[in-house]
Amino acid sequence: MAVAQEVGNDMKKLLLLAAVALTANATSFYLTVAGLGGEPDYEQRFTGWASDLNKSLAGEAGAKVDTLSGKDATKANIQAKLAQIASQAKADDTFTLLLIGHGGYDDIDYKINIPGQDISATELAEALNKIAARQVIVNATSASGGSISKLQKEKRVIITATKSGTEKNATVFARFWVEAFRDPAADTDKNQTLTALEAFKYASAKTKDYFESLKRLATENPRLEDTGKGDGEKDPTVANGQGLIAGRFPLLHLGSASAVVNSPAKQALLKRKDDLETSIDELKYKKASLDARAYDGQMRTLLLELAKVQASLDQ
Amino acid sequence: MKAKHSLLIAALVLIVLYVGDEQRWFRQVPASAQGPGPQVECEKLRHHGDPAATACYQRLSRSNDPLTKAEGLWGLRDYDGANLAFRAAVKLTPKDGSRRVRWGRMYLDHWQVGDAQDLFKEALDLNENDAQAMLGMALALSESFDGEAVKFAERALKADPTLAEAREVIARIRLEDNNPEKAVEEAKQALQISPEALQAMAILATVEMMDEKPATEWTDKIFKINPTYGEAYETMAHFFVINRRYDEGIALYRKALDVKPTLWSARAELGVNLMRFGKEDEARQNLEACYTNGYKPPLVVNSLTLLDSYKNFETYTTPTTILKVHKKEAALLRPYFQAELDRAVATYEKKYKFKLDGPVQVEVYPDHEDFAVRTMGMPGLGALGVTFGKVVAMDSPNGRKPGDFHWAATMWHELSHVYVLTMTDSRTPRWFTEGLAVYEETAISPDWGDRMTPREIKAIKEKALLPIADLDRGYIHPSYPEQVIVSYYQGGRVLTYIIEKWGFDAVLGMIQGFKEKKDTVQVIKEVLKVTPEEFDAQFFPWLEAQTKKTVDGFNDWTKQVKIVNENAKNKDWTAVITEGTAIRDIYPDYVEAGSVYEFLAQAYLAKEDKTNAIAQLEGYAAHGGRNPTTLKQLADLQAAAGNKRAAAAAIEKVNLIFPKDETAHQKLGGWYMDLGNPLAAIREFGAVLGSGTIDQAGAHYNLANALHAAKQNDKALEEVYLSLEAAPAYKPAQKLLLELSPQ
Repeated sequence: MAVAQEVGNDMKKLLLLAAVALTANATSFYLTVAGLGGEPDYEQRFTGWASDLNKSLAGEAGAKVDTLSGKDATKANIQAKLAQIASQAKADDTFTLLLIGHGGYDDIDYKINIPGQDISATELAEALNKIAARQVIVNATSASGGSISKLQKEKRVIITATKSGTEKNATVFARFWVEAFRDPAADTDKNQTLTALEAFKYASAKTKDYFESLKRLATENPRLEDTGKGDGEKDPTVANGQGLIAGRFPLLHLGSASAVVNSPAKQALLKRKDDLETSIDELKYKKASLDARAYDGQMRTLLLELAKVQASLDQ
Repeated sequence: MKAKHSLLIAALVLIVLYVGDEQRWFRQVPASAQGPGPQVECEKLRHHGDPAATACYQRLSRSNDPLTKAEGLWGLRDYDGANLAFRAAVKLTPKDGSRRVRWGRMYLDHWQVGDAQDLFKEALDLNENDAQAMLGMALALSESFDGEAVKFAERALKADPTLAEAREVIARIRLEDNNPEKAVEEAKQALQISPEALQAMAILATVEMMDEKPATEWTDKIFKINPTYGEAYETMAHFFVINRRYDEGIALYRKALDVKPTLWSARAELGVNLMRFGKEDEARQNLEACYTNGYKPPLVVNSLTLLDSYKNFETYTTPTTILKVHKKEAALLRPYFQAELDRAVATYEKKYKFKLDGPVQVEVYPDHEDFAVRTMGMPGLGALGVTFGKVVAMDSPNGRKPGDFHWAATMWHELSHVYVLTMTDSRTPRWFTEGLAVYEETAISPDWGDRMTPREIKAIKEKALLPIADLDRGYIHPSYPEQVIVSYYQGGRVLTYIIEKWGFDAVLGMIQGFKEKKDTVQVIKEVLKVTPEEFDAQFFPWLEAQTKKTVDGFNDWTKQVKIVNENAKNKDWTAVITEGTAIRDIYPDYVEAGSVYEFLAQAYLAKEDKTNAIAQLEGYAAHGGRNPTTLKQLADLQAAAGNKRAAAAAIEKVNLIFPKDETAHQKLGGWYMDLGNPLAAIREFGAVLGSGTIDQAGAHYNLANALHAAKQNDKALEEVYLSLEAAPAYKPAQKLLLELSPQ
């Protein structure tokens, strides 16, 4: 029970923060870096994924989307772009950096392969630390797990394609990360907002399926780290403490979720809806400590009530 | 057994079943045949079942001479100690090949066939005429049914005509080859050399027993020489098992253990065969007894490990079926497997006019090596499915690469065996059992069965197919690597020909003939009213006429398809269409990677001619193309062209090949809803959930919707609640909930 109560409190805090994230008038910055492919096939894949992501983000309100690929993805250009974002982004804004390509790890630091001098995780971290916005760093390159320790910071979400710097094969995680932006199935809670946690879970599951279907040993094992410490988790849960920040980090709005209901007449209903959603979340986290029949009964009552409230709101 | 068609290494797919048969009969030879050595006296005692043998070996084991010590320790089954002593003995006199041979024989006794072969080879390097080394090679090779075994045994006899054991090896191989006359001849020659050749007598007893005779003449002689010679029954059991007469085989293993309870190799085989029939408790009891008594070959260890894993399987029963599926894939596979299982049982009952006296059991293994262990106690089996009585074990489609095999065809293949073997008390020759099963694959659906591959084309061209009277040899002791697979193909064509010319009643007549213990020659004569020679004289021209275009044109086709491939690489689509169209129908059955159909479809799509692209891919599907990606491409094109019914049919093909495809189930469910078939949609949306989708809310909602459309509102309500539990704010589910909830 003690654990459930603690979790319940976390959830309340989380829901409060989530409400802020969804309703604030913030800017979303996106930067995609597609590094060197080394051969035409990879080159094409990397730039293709970057381009696909841009298409998915095209309709995102308030989004500022930049891409550096091919010969433009130099260290100087990356650092300049990050400095530019640092000069514009405010604390309420969000920033998502996606690194696609081949990475390397020498037991000390991680580097992504780009034209000219490579850029290291340490150098990236220096530039990122100057950005006030909340951040998701998606390092989808090979050996990207080697960058976690350099990039991690409190409240920053780090997602990597590999669990360590020793997983050096070319990766497919980026392909599925980009796919999450255009597959409605990735929005698993159906609230029409794709969060970093949902995109991570989607891309991880697809990556796993990819290797399983080929009957090949997985050469990449994605990780998420958003507490500022640890090596990252393959399955972020409340139990391991990972995923709380990623779960409230909006990457893409799929429909009318961002529309704020302004009608004063509906404020009471909105309040009731929020209360019901909070109660549902709390109940879920008490599931293990409840009799199954009692849990089902309470859950169904809440869900039916929520459906009725939503119907009234939609009238 | 359903062989894996696409791998050349599958040449041993059928015979490997016997490799698991860990019978160790190498040591039970007359001492006189073993050549001089310190162990001679002890072996004589053992040969006669004299308990003093143990004391004799103990004496040897205390010797300061490493070779004597090695023989003693080996006799006491202290293999580690014997191994060290043999090493020391060989080190002392490295040029003495006989020491290496004895060491190799010990390895053979300890399931280390590869190490044994190395030592025999070393001995032959020292003396190429070393008869004992050649005999060792023959024994080692016979373990894997290698055709070279007989050659080594014959060479050994040439070097030493008194080598009775070499005759015994040949006799055994001849009997495995279903040639009892030759086996008897060889066994009798062994007895002329050594009147106490117990294995030769066991072979003779086996031949009589398999012919329903009491065999007491031989068993009496055997037990007079050695009252504890359980190995005789073990040998008999081996042959009953490899002839699929499992019940009798099991009974004989039990008799072997009655005579000699410490015959661990027989106990292990008993355990494995009991496991095959689902008698898991007794199987475990016997296998654990082997293990705890130090008999730990891979056969025993692997089987025990597999038995431990059975707790991970779900079992579903109906009055006529038992389906065992691994928990992790049960939700996905069960609906498809159960449907095909029920359909096959109903079809075969009608077709064979026979009702099984109990449920048929199908076990589905997601891990191929578990299936292999389940089948023969050892990993490495190149087969897809195996039948033991009324139990079928098979690979799960999830255990193989997408498109690697057609699980439904495999299941129908194996279930055909269940009927035919049950109807005949397992007395059918392999060519008939396998040929009929291959025929059934395409009888149920023309696009299911395996296609004619280049190896069959080559065999037809080179006239390498076997006469019908001799066709079994192609399955059991192939003379070239691909002959097993070619024989599967030939068997299928033979049955097709029989059914076309004489009708299916002729097949039922043949089944009856085999049940009456008639052989191929008799059955062909009596049922088809032709001699086997006349049959061949009619069948081969029929087959050649059917395949002439492909066989004659194959070399040109091979050259041209490379050009089509090059043109496709260069995106010269006009050339692809011209060249591809010209050669496609020379070899229409070629639907493997790089098929002409796919090149043509690619070319038509590049020219934005979707109608022709669809036509090409439909040809691919109709000829048995199994690549799920290509079939899904066809479905998408058909759906986009407004033909959702055809699109659904294309995805249904994928379901029978590689059902673990969430996106395909999602689409198919949607198409079925559009086509007004909510029951099929329910199955498909259920499969989305069974695939472990991350979109639980969406999947439960779709299932709820389909259930609602099928007027199963109670179930729909359950699903919609599950959807909303995953995503409480999911508006479509909320609307459905309100619709389904009583106001």
